Amino acid sequence: MARSSMRRVLLLAAALAIVNAPSHARSRVALPLLDSVGGSHDGGQRAPIQAESDMDARLARVEHWLKAAMRHQPGTPDASAVEVSQWSNAALRTLWVDTNVVVKLIRKPKGTVFSLRAEGQPRAQEVHYTSVHMHRLRVLACAAGGYLGASTAPDERYCREENAIGELDGELRDLAQRAGESKRRGDDNYILRRGALLESDIGMFVSTGSEPIGTSSALGPDRFRMTLADGQGTAFRQVGVHWELARMLLDYVKPNGSDQVAPGRDEMVRDWYRATAAWMQDRQDYDTHHLERAREVLPADPIILFLSGSLAETYAAPHIQSALRSAVAPAGTVFAVASDRAELRQAESFYRRALAADASLPELHLRFGHVLLLLGHEADAARELRVALEAEGDPLLRYYGELFLGAAEERLGHADAARQAYADASALYPNAQSPYLALSALARRHADRATAFKEMQIVFELPHAEEPPDDPWWTYYKSQARNADELLESLWRPFLQEAER
Amino acid sequence: MTVRPLGLSALLLSTALSAQTQSPVFSTKVEVVRVDALVTDSGRPVLGLGPADFEVLDNGVPQDVEFVSYDQIPLNVVLALDMSDSVAGERLEHLRGASTAVLAGLKRNDQSALVTFNNQVTLEAALTSDLEPLREAIGQIAGEGDTSLVDGVYAGITVGESDAGRALLMIFSDGLDTLSWLTPAAVLDTAKRSDVVVYAVSVGKVKADFLRDLASFSGGRLFELEKTANLSATFVSILEEFRQRYLVSYTPRGVSRDGWHRLEVRLKGRRATIKARPGYLAGPG
Repeated sequence: MARSSMRRVLLLAAALAIVNAPSHARSRVALPLLDSVGGSHDGGQRAPIQAESDMDARLARVEHWLKAAMRHQPGTPDASAVEVSQWSNAALRTLWVDTNVVVKLIRKPKGTVFSLRAEGQPRAQEVHYTSVHMHRLRVLACAAGGYLGASTAPDERYCREENAIGELDGELRDLAQRAGESKRRGDDNYILRRGALLESDIGMFVSTGSEPIGTSSALGPDRFRMTLADGQGTAFRQVGVHWELARMLLDYVKPNGSDQVAPGRDEMVRDWYRATAAWMQDRQDYDTHHLERAREVLPADPIILFLSGSLAETYAAPHIQSALRSAVAPAGTVFAVASDRAELRQAESFYRRALAADASLPELHLRFGHVLLLLGHEADAARELRVALEAEGDPLLRYYGELFLGAAEERLGHADAARQAYADASALYPNAQSPYLALSALARRHADRATAFKEMQIVFELPHAEEPPDDPWWTYYKSQARNADELLESLWRPFLQEAER
Repeated sequence: MTVRPLGLSALLLSTALSAQTQSPVFSTKVEVVRVDALVTDSGRPVLGLGPADFEVLDNGVPQDVEFVSYDQIPLNVVLALDMSDSVAGERLEHLRGASTAVLAGLKRNDQSALVTFNNQVTLEAALTSDLEPLREAIGQIAGEGDTSLVDGVYAGITVGESDAGRALLMIFSDGLDTLSWLTPAAVLDTAKRSDVVVYAVSVGKVKADFLRDLASFSGGRLFELEKTANLSATFVSILEEFRQRYLVSYTPRGVSRDGWHRLEVRLKGRRATIKARPGYLAGPG
């Protein structure tokens, strides 16, 4: 009678913040955010001077990366993605620094001072290069920014004065050509968009290497991953900062036709955050920073707020809280994950904001109702759940709604209404065990042992299918992102169409 | 909890009852309360006690103990085993060995059942005195999926209650709940209404708060092990300890029917350590 069940491994990722203060002094950060309490950073401190050969290698890597971003076919784990994915974590960290400088130069070609602050780091740091390396970075910025045409615009003139064109190989000239064409069509973001797609595709589709955890005081972000299985943390590893790179690039986007950097007004940036955040939740690969940045860029976007709520709701769930209770964080680090109730209150807040932005989404009412139920506001929960049920035709969401409404009614002492709601849920998914368990426990609570046993007999006799899972309750905490693949397809489509042209 | 049909105490005298009962019998007219009690003195079980030796207070009101049984009534041993991902390899082999050792320790009229839980709860074998299907089922179990510990415990209690015999629920889990629909509070509520005694074995570095509460409310015990190397010895010791318990029963008098009943079980005129449930819940609510 034993049946194999769905295996689920949770991948939790977050940046490591190097701070002098204990983590509890920090604001809420990524799920298994590991805050080092032993790092040492001084504001404005000069980044360590690199050996010449090391810096040469770094700039060569930037050049490779620019070419890879240009060649990459969005939505695929192609050779370009694989090549970049194989770089070490340290190499990706310096790539984040150097690419950041290149992007700043695209936006401000005459810039000479570069102050960078990685996610999770408390202060910005200035980075400095030798004049030779600075020149090379300017040349690369000219290529990536498409500043090689015949225009007399000041930026273009500056690149000509640097003799940038004369220092580019064929592929970089091709990059400059494409970036320039994009700019002439009104979209001055060629390498930013392409680079972000490359890095997010690596994050999603390429099996990247991981390394033992080691904290560094060097500038640049860190990313750590705790893998969970069966409610227990099974591994801590340091992984590449691909998502951090992608987010950094999109921070510099100018909406089409605009002269100002304003990623929050750009459709592609919005779609990218929606699709990638949904993908993370669908694959249970969580990254709190991702949605934190998304909310900074898109503070009133109902989908981003909805996904923020569902992430906090997930963090409050037993499979996450269990893992955090049992996991032992690496020395010098602590988890910065709130208690289940604090996460639920966070979820409630996000859902309220999402409803204020767009109250027409039935699923928003459903999940808001569930969170209210878990917070002990049964009457409010029942009201929200009824709103969801009145508007929702999707059997999956109706199932959740009836199940949660049953629980709310039960806690309100309305046994008949609870029984009816559980029965309605069972009618939608007859092979799901949760409604029968609920009916059994309800009967037992009312001293009706015969009915309690009868309902359990039904549970014991249920047929079991491998896929899809018998009981949608088992996938509740990822079902909010069930359209992630569609969102990604929609994100990539314009880039793929452009490639076909 | 501990409410049983009137006349059950007389039926309990028949050692054949449990072994022969195939379908659950439920009645709610007049109720008898049963309390499983482990009586020890300096760690050793105290033997030879009868109804006159026990003093039972129900919400502070002394009750007339009608019946005391020691090792006379067949046992219903329900094994509820975590079959999630993490139960694999050596751990799974140890669990199979320990479960088989429990079956080997059962007497002729004892019964056993096997419930497993991962995402779903499964009744691998219903209560039966024919142990062969159980051995076969134990040989086939394998870990996969998440842990619906709370749902699995509820299923185990329900199976334990499905027969009039003395029910011991032995739970094994190496993790924490990740997926149950039922809440720990709901299942603790059920445990307070049931006379199933819960012994739980938790393995690994987990804080087994739910299992601790469950064992405490049912008058059982929680064993927290780091590894499973001695799991068979632990399982067998649980069975042996359960056999050394007295089953004390009485019909409540002078107390309200519904709500929480605080129980105190003592020996008259002598000192002893008594481990029993701290109370029971009766009536709806």
